[in-house]
Amino acid sequence: MKQHPFRWIALAVGIAVAAFAVVLAVNVSTDPRADSNSSRLLGKAAPPFSFTDLAGKKVTSADLVGKTVILNFWNSWCAPCRDELPALQRWYSTHRDDTDVVLIGVPRDDTSGAIRAAARQDKMDWAVANDHGAEAATLDYATRGQPETFAISPNGVVIAAQIGPVNVSTLDKMAAYGRRAA
Amino acid sequence: MSTGRKLVWVGLAVLAVLVLAVALWPSSGTPTVRARTRSLASELRCVDCEGLSVAESSTASARQTRRDIEARIRRGQSDQDIRQVYVDRFGESILLKPSSSGIGVIVWALPVIVLVVGAGGLVLALRRWGRQPRLVATDADEALVAQARAREGSEPDA
Repeated sequence: MKQHPFRWIALAVGIAVAAFAVVLAVNVSTDPRADSNSSRLLGKAAPPFSFTDLAGKKVTSADLVGKTVILNFWNSWCAPCRDELPALQRWYSTHRDDTDVVLIGVPRDDTSGAIRAAARQDKMDWAVANDHGAEAATLDYATRGQPETFAISPNGVVIAAQIGPVNVSTLDKMAAYGRRAA
Repeated sequence: MSTGRKLVWVGLAVLAVLVLAVALWPSSGTPTVRARTRSLASELRCVDCEGLSVAESSTASARQTRRDIEARIRRGQSDQDIRQVYVDRFGESILLKPSSSGIGVIVWALPVIVLVVGAGGLVLALRRWGRQPRLVATDADEALVAQARAREGSEPDA
């Protein structure tokens, strides 16, 4: 029996559409933005940073080699940042004299005046960046929002990242990872 | 096929080639740093906002990204290098357009394949229809029709 060419064309189009549907289904079944829930910097060399803090002191990654650095990206108008503030304050109050771990607040998308006012009002006694270095770090650390917190080992590798508010336990773990990696 | 129909087909083919040529022809001259920055920024998703590109957004991170792209262009990095920097940092989801390699190639290739197969099918169909003999009423057919109409005309309306 002679097969009509239309049948083959219809079959080819059908197979192509079915293949496309399968590929779409496979890809859509996973969140296309799933990579926004974790940092791709984990295990990689930490991007260098250089800030001037609210006290006018220069803070650079090069000067902090040998210490665990906890970078906390935040801003004055973000509600989750306010939620995590008590944890940061509590953690810092017990670690402020540690010589092997440093906490640095890095404002993200905020104004200098608002940063200064929030830091004073909320008694953020740790170093808080307050210049264009913060904007560069915001991009270099591939932040997608705030708060986000990164731990950098004493030898300059990103060893932990938290998207969203941290608690005291998370900060303790970050510091412990750093000590272990030293 | 008559000469007139051939001319129509040739005309359509020329028109299609012209439209494709205009659409796909690369713009002349080297793009400026600003144009390259804007073009690359329009390919990257603004991480702070839903559905906007870095070129369209006015958030601090988008502004910083545009500055970073421009600085990289001035340092001599290629467009592909810059795209890769952002994919390495943020993942494929930073690209508003799917990449043309790996799984992303399906998104680009499949519509073209379907279009080509569809066009092929259309050509085959047109040729098939063209081969079918045109039906011409014979004298006997016309006589039958005339009889039927005469019968209908003689019957009273219901």
